[in-house]
Amino acid sequence: MPYPTDPAGIAGLWISWLLMLMIYSYPLYKENPVYRFAEHTYIGLMLAIMLITTTITTTIRMVGPPLMQGKVWYVIPVILGFMMFFLLTPRYRWLSRYPIAILVGAGFGLGMRGVLIPNITKQVISTITPPAVGAGAVDWWNYIYIAIGTICAVMYFVLTWEHRGAMGYATRLGRWIIMIGLGAYFGNTVLFRMAMLSGRAQFFLQVLRIAPM
Amino acid sequence: MSEEELTFWEKLARIDRRVFYWILFIGLMIPFIRPIMFPISISPSTRDLYEGIKEMVEPGDVVVMNIAFGVSAWPECMPAFVSCAKLFIREGAKIIIWGSYYDVDLTYEELLRRAKEDFAKLKYGEDYVYLGYYPNMEASVAQLGSSIRSIFSTDKYGTPLDELPMMKNVDKATDIKLVVSGDTGDCCDYYIRQWRIPYGVPVAEIGIAMLGSSYMPFYKSGVLFGMSVGVRGGAELEKLIGEPGEATIRMGAINISHILVIIAVVLANIGYFASRGKRR
Repeated sequence: MPYPTDPAGIAGLWISWLLMLMIYSYPLYKENPVYRFAEHTYIGLMLAIMLITTTITTTIRMVGPPLMQGKVWYVIPVILGFMMFFLLTPRYRWLSRYPIAILVGAGFGLGMRGVLIPNITKQVISTITPPAVGAGAVDWWNYIYIAIGTICAVMYFVLTWEHRGAMGYATRLGRWIIMIGLGAYFGNTVLFRMAMLSGRAQFFLQVLRIAPM
Repeated sequence: MSEEELTFWEKLARIDRRVFYWILFIGLMIPFIRPIMFPISISPSTRDLYEGIKEMVEPGDVVVMNIAFGVSAWPECMPAFVSCAKLFIREGAKIIIWGSYYDVDLTYEELLRRAKEDFAKLKYGEDYVYLGYYPNMEASVAQLGSSIRSIFSTDKYGTPLDELPMMKNVDKATDIKLVVSGDTGDCCDYYIRQWRIPYGVPVAEIGIAMLGSSYMPFYKSGVLFGMSVGVRGGAELEKLIGEPGEATIRMGAINISHILVIIAVVLANIGYFASRGKRR
């Protein structure tokens, strides 16, 4: 966004800059009331924006126009949505179980719809398919490492056989493979946090007009 | 044990983490004051994303850009997302933009601002449309695949979809050439399950660095036709489209942060191993 020129825009920019520093006072100094205030303000504002956006989108944009066109069945999800609020009354709480059951059932059904091919079939085929003719040593290393790693990592979770002898070696290797995998995942997580922090460092400079906005 | 009795190595292992945070925060600012450029090589997943778009998209094809990242993830996802939008426009594609994050409007406006020169050549409603936010992710994504109008009867500004020229013959996943999803979570999973598998629509991912290891198996198995991972992916795409920008500069900050983390890990381990014998 460009550097604002209107008073409200400038005020908003500086307030967000101050709130950011208030939040960072926790890691850079220690927990303090200023940090708490900023944290609570952030959570409250975020929930308010989420609530308003979701309510407006579902009621006015998604349900409103079809209802106006006479598609009365669009009122069913609205009723089911309101039934959720019976969670708050012990006497009629049982009514809230119907929308929850529909939500869980629909979510599970939709999730299962396309999960087998990309998550199982394609992954198995990809794991056991050797590199093409003329592939380099790195490709072959990856192929062997992933194939053996997958088998050993899966064997680590086979609990019906005792992990002894040949099984013991394989599961120990599987445990190492899992640790390497989790390490890589954690490394990526740290990388993401660094990128976010660099975004804040850039914003810090932009508000002070040290870096271009 | 008092501070005076500690050896040099023990003191090294006990440096207050706040010292490191201050150094990190200040160190990350340097590239934004004085850009530090490093050579950037192109990874196969980013190259496939770029070449996939160039090969598959013909002028007039309709593509979807899904925004599933919030303002906080702009540093990671935005550069790659903007580069993809520029690429789509240069290939002559018509773009539908929607999103599953409640602050999607801000991201859309930022996308238009960052690719201002490219979007200035387009006409809203004929070359691109913005449909806004959809809640209840997977159910909505599934429904969008069978009928876009059952979720969005109008665009974000209240214009009925039938009145928008580019949306006249577009209503189902099969009318869409490909989907690019910018993610901080698992929204790309929904497009894989609800668009890629049932309808065969090619899907690509622009994810935060954390998602690199999660989606790599999908890319390797051909489920995703391409993938951009974090700032690095953004910098690679900027290089591929020939417009080095924010991600290229940010890579300097990322490199500094990595060097600092490596130094901290090495120092802490030296301190740990040097003082281990003493503890025994």
